[in-house]
Amino acid sequence: MDIRFSGVSKIFYPDITALEDVYLEIPKGEFVYLVGPTGSGKTTLLRCITREVAPTRGQITVGSFSLRKISRVDLSIFRRDIGIIFQDFCLLPHLNVFENVAFVLEVLGAPPREVKERTGEILDQVNLWRRRFLYPPQLSGGEQQRVAVARAIVNAPSVLLADEPTGNLDLHTAEEIMQLIISINALGTTVIMATHNQYLVDAYRQRVIGIRSGRIVRDEKRGRYNLDGEL
Amino acid sequence: MGSFKYTFRDAARLVIRHWGLSLLTVLTSMSVFYLIGASVLLVLNTRHIVNIMEGELTIQAFLAPETSADVVAKKAAALPHVTKIAIITPEIALGRLQVRVEPRMPNVLGFLADDNPLPWSIEVSVDRADGVKGVAEALSVIEGVADVVYAVELAQKLANFSRFAGQFSVVMLLVAITASAVVLFNTIRISVYSKEEEIGIMLMVGATPTFVAMPFVIQGIILGGMGSLGASVLLSLSYNGIMARLKDLLPFLPFLERGMLVAKLGVILVGSGATLSLIASLLAVEAFTRRAMKPL
Ligand SMILES: Nc1ncnc2c1ncn2[C@@H]1O[C@H](COP(=O)(O)OP(=O)(O)O)[C@@H](O)[C@H]1O
Ligand SMILES: [Mg+2]
Repeated sequence: MDIRFSGVSKIFYPDITALEDVYLEIPKGEFVYLVGPTGSGKTTLLRCITREVAPTRGQITVGSFSLRKISRVDLSIFRRDIGIIFQDFCLLPHLNVFENVAFVLEVLGAPPREVKERTGEILDQVNLWRRRFLYPPQLSGGEQQRVAVARAIVNAPSVLLADEPTGNLDLHTAEEIMQLIISINALGTTVIMATHNQYLVDAYRQRVIGIRSGRIVRDEKRGRYNLDGEL
Repeated sequence: MGSFKYTFRDAARLVIRHWGLSLLTVLTSMSVFYLIGASVLLVLNTRHIVNIMEGELTIQAFLAPETSADVVAKKAAALPHVTKIAIITPEIALGRLQVRVEPRMPNVLGFLADDNPLPWSIEVSVDRADGVKGVAEALSVIEGVADVVYAVELAQKLANFSRFAGQFSVVMLLVAITASAVVLFNTIRISVYSKEEEIGIMLMVGATPTFVAMPFVIQGIILGGMGSLGASVLLSLSYNGIMARLKDLLPFLPFLERGMLVAKLGVILVGSGATLSLIASLLAVEAFTRRAMKPL
């Protein structure tokens, strides 16, 4: 699923410009860092892709879906193909690790046997199989984020959106998560990751899109976090 | 199949998790449906009694001497609400009198047989208690009618009560159904908000709004269904008891029998209880998912 923004602006009521005239093309399978200061519009851009935010102007298409006019049922179907990870994990505290992941497959109507098998596979992949009966508050930050990654990819989405996924983690743990995300990308999933982590961006060189006050200020094929002293 | 299991497991969890609220909701809908059922039984019974009594609503028009009963009967037959006319000859009238008096005073009327002093009369049957007064007035102005006698008080009271019972039950029905719908709606809404976070994640990973709504709708149907079922059982028990007492108290009134009537009413109550809760819970959860899926 290619992602295309054409002339997208978002003005929040009454007059906060979060995105301004954004043109963007992200082909299937690409890895993109979204960098920029706090309040520059990174989260808003990601939320436009999930249609939690509707642009004030402009068009967004993801694969064959045009997001401007999409019915509620189509939106549900579309979202099954998008995985999301947040800075603060957003796990359900009253469900254990296994249930937090299996839950996604259950609500998408997968048969119980498939739920079990697939959840087991994914927990193996993120190295949490032995922790499957623990609850989120019993886990370390890195483990919680791995559960969140597992939940985001259990349905094998075409696109993975990560909004500062390492923001609450120490460097070592952040790198662990990063390697996990890289490995998911290697299997063909498009990844868009908003981040403040200079180390990761410079260590794992990928396309970098710089954003400031809602505008795209740079877009480099194999970029770095800083550009000649400028953020 | 996986989603069925999920839906029912989650509905059951919702009911148990909010057990206090569940209990309150069941009790409320139970009282509401009990009231509805009781007022339906009241109306059916008064209708039934009124119907039977109306079958016996008659007016006696006594004729002046030398009047042709046939002519008066023809004129009376043309009046509205008149269903049947019988001509009572002095002989029939005497016969009826004898039947009433004879058992206590045998042969006391024997001497009247030769020289019958009783007048001719016609007996007019009226279809509705409402119509009795009008027919009686119309009869009294027909030429040759000397006097008109009818049970005005009873007929009128009966008609009034029947009308009142009907209106009362309609009002009762509306109030009760609204109250019950509001309570169910609120309970489901509280459940929905208690799972706000979960619903948010469900919608983000692509669960359809209908799927999200399912456990809450089932929860609503369980609560409303249990309430109306409880009401039906209670109604059946109390109707039995009340009927037994009323029959002792008012043996002459033809009340409806129990059995099939209450069973049918129970089925209707449970059916409408389930339907009502389906609608109320669907509204409660739909309003939520609609808002949750609306983009900023
Ligand atoms: N729901 C909202 N209502 C109003 N303003 C918002 C909303 N969400 C974000 N904004 C504003 O839009 C701008 C961009 O925010 P955001 O996309 O969160 O930036 P970032 O993720 O880069 O820190 C900020 O000025 C923020 O205050
Ligand atoms: Mg942000």
